[in-house]
Amino acid sequence: MIKIENVSMKFNLGIEKNFSIKEAFISIFDRKRRPKKTDFWALKNISFDVKPGEVIGLIGSNGAGKSTLLKVVSGVMKPTKGKVTVNGVISPMIELGAGFDLELTARENIYLNGAILGYSKKFIDEKFNEIVEFSELKDFLDVPVKNFSSGMIAKLAFSIATVVEPEILIVDEILSVGDIKFQEKSKNKMMEMIKGGTTVLYVSHSLESIKELCDRVVWIENGTLVKIGSAKEICNEYYNKQMK
Amino acid sequence: MTTFKNIMANFKRFKFLMSQLILRDFKVKYKRSVLGILWSLLYPILMMAVMALVFSNMFRFQVEGINYLVYLMTGIIMFQYFSEATSVAMVSVVTNFSLINKVYIPKYIFPLGKCLFVGINFLLTLIPWFAIIILTQFGLGTYPASINFYYLLLPLIFLCLFLFTIGIGLFLACTSVFLRDIFYIYGIITTIWQYFTPIFYSIEIIPDKLQFLFQFNPLYQFLTATRSIVLYGNCPSALNLILCVVYAIIALVVGTIVFKKKQDKFIYYI
Repeated sequence: MIKIENVSMKFNLGIEKNFSIKEAFISIFDRKRRPKKTDFWALKNISFDVKPGEVIGLIGSNGAGKSTLLKVVSGVMKPTKGKVTVNGVISPMIELGAGFDLELTARENIYLNGAILGYSKKFIDEKFNEIVEFSELKDFLDVPVKNFSSGMIAKLAFSIATVVEPEILIVDEILSVGDIKFQEKSKNKMMEMIKGGTTVLYVSHSLESIKELCDRVVWIENGTLVKIGSAKEICNEYYNKQMK
Repeated sequence: MTTFKNIMANFKRFKFLMSQLILRDFKVKYKRSVLGILWSLLYPILMMAVMALVFSNMFRFQVEGINYLVYLMTGIIMFQYFSEATSVAMVSVVTNFSLINKVYIPKYIFPLGKCLFVGINFLLTLIPWFAIIILTQFGLGTYPASINFYYLLLPLIFLCLFLFTIGIGLFLACTSVFLRDIFYIYGIITTIWQYFTPIFYSIEIIPDKLQFLFQFNPLYQFLTATRSIVLYGNCPSALNLILCVVYAIIALVVGTIVFKKKQDKFIYYI
């Protein structure tokens, strides 16, 4: 389903993000002010396969490269070296609501955000009621999203993102959003999706939920793959190492 | 052949997203304005009226033997399309970075969508433009404009303008990722370009020796071709038409290649 072969990802920490002509000009004369090239390998030679229907957990400390790996798999970034082969449609749930236009109404945003997530018009037409129902925002459908509270925006975004039955699901932390009632509902929905037989790549810091949900766990540290194996075994080893 | 098939499959898959983005642009543009989309029709007429007042009355500009209002308006709508579309295409990739960073979307969708959005607006401005042409038949301005069979060439000329604009738009969108200064630089460039394009003056007022320089201005080619049809009732010269097509293709090819080559690096710079 997903084949990750010798993937390495290089970032150049020296890149000044807003490189301007002025600085380019200065750097011609002043060698010291040239942006230093400090290579940073966010991922080093990572290889593993994910079989159809498998739930894979990714663990590792902050900055270990988990999110970068998810971005490489979902196609947002191209790996510097190596190859990622994906068979199937990916549904990225990396961050919610990124595609909203605040000026537009909830109704319009459902279509816009759906299109961004790769849904077809027919699919959204069919699922429209389901999305509205789940988001509990029926009375606010024609209100511009800029008048929504952040909780309401999160609810709407969650409902749009989870209406699919994806072939491959990428989850960066289980998102429980909104009020208590909705948190419970959204958590159940996520569990349902993960347990529903789809292939899942799941990043979390909660070892409990990893143990509960995942078949196998990939442990990444400083961009290198430390270990891969059964959930229980790897989680325990990881926990012991972290707490030492 | 396979790459062509890939491109078409890609197009099909993201057609809906493209239409949604264009629809979004329209909705946001006209939200809270009373006249809404009517502005697309009114704006070029008002611009033309102002410029006609300024240039034909204050500066006594005239182009002998033709209708100056139509001359002006043709220049205004075509240049306006080019400058507006390229400017919004230029910022489109940078402003949509939060999306590019999270979901896989082909990046060319943003500049292309903007060129299409402004292009639809351009097509709307053709309505008042043609209305003015008809009015000149009934005595608006000094001379009537011409209505003839060569109008069938107009879609080709506008298509060239459109492709040229996409090419430049892609190039600018790509450049702006690496060099934010381009926002300011391009502002200056369009102003200079505007004065070196005969929008309100005729090329006749330029010294003979320098007139050939205008041949290198693609916008001059598009304008001249349109004007020879509408104002003089002539078929544009072969050289003129060939240059229109050539400039359009060069810009499109260069823009696409540069964009395609650099697009995977965008993510490190935004």
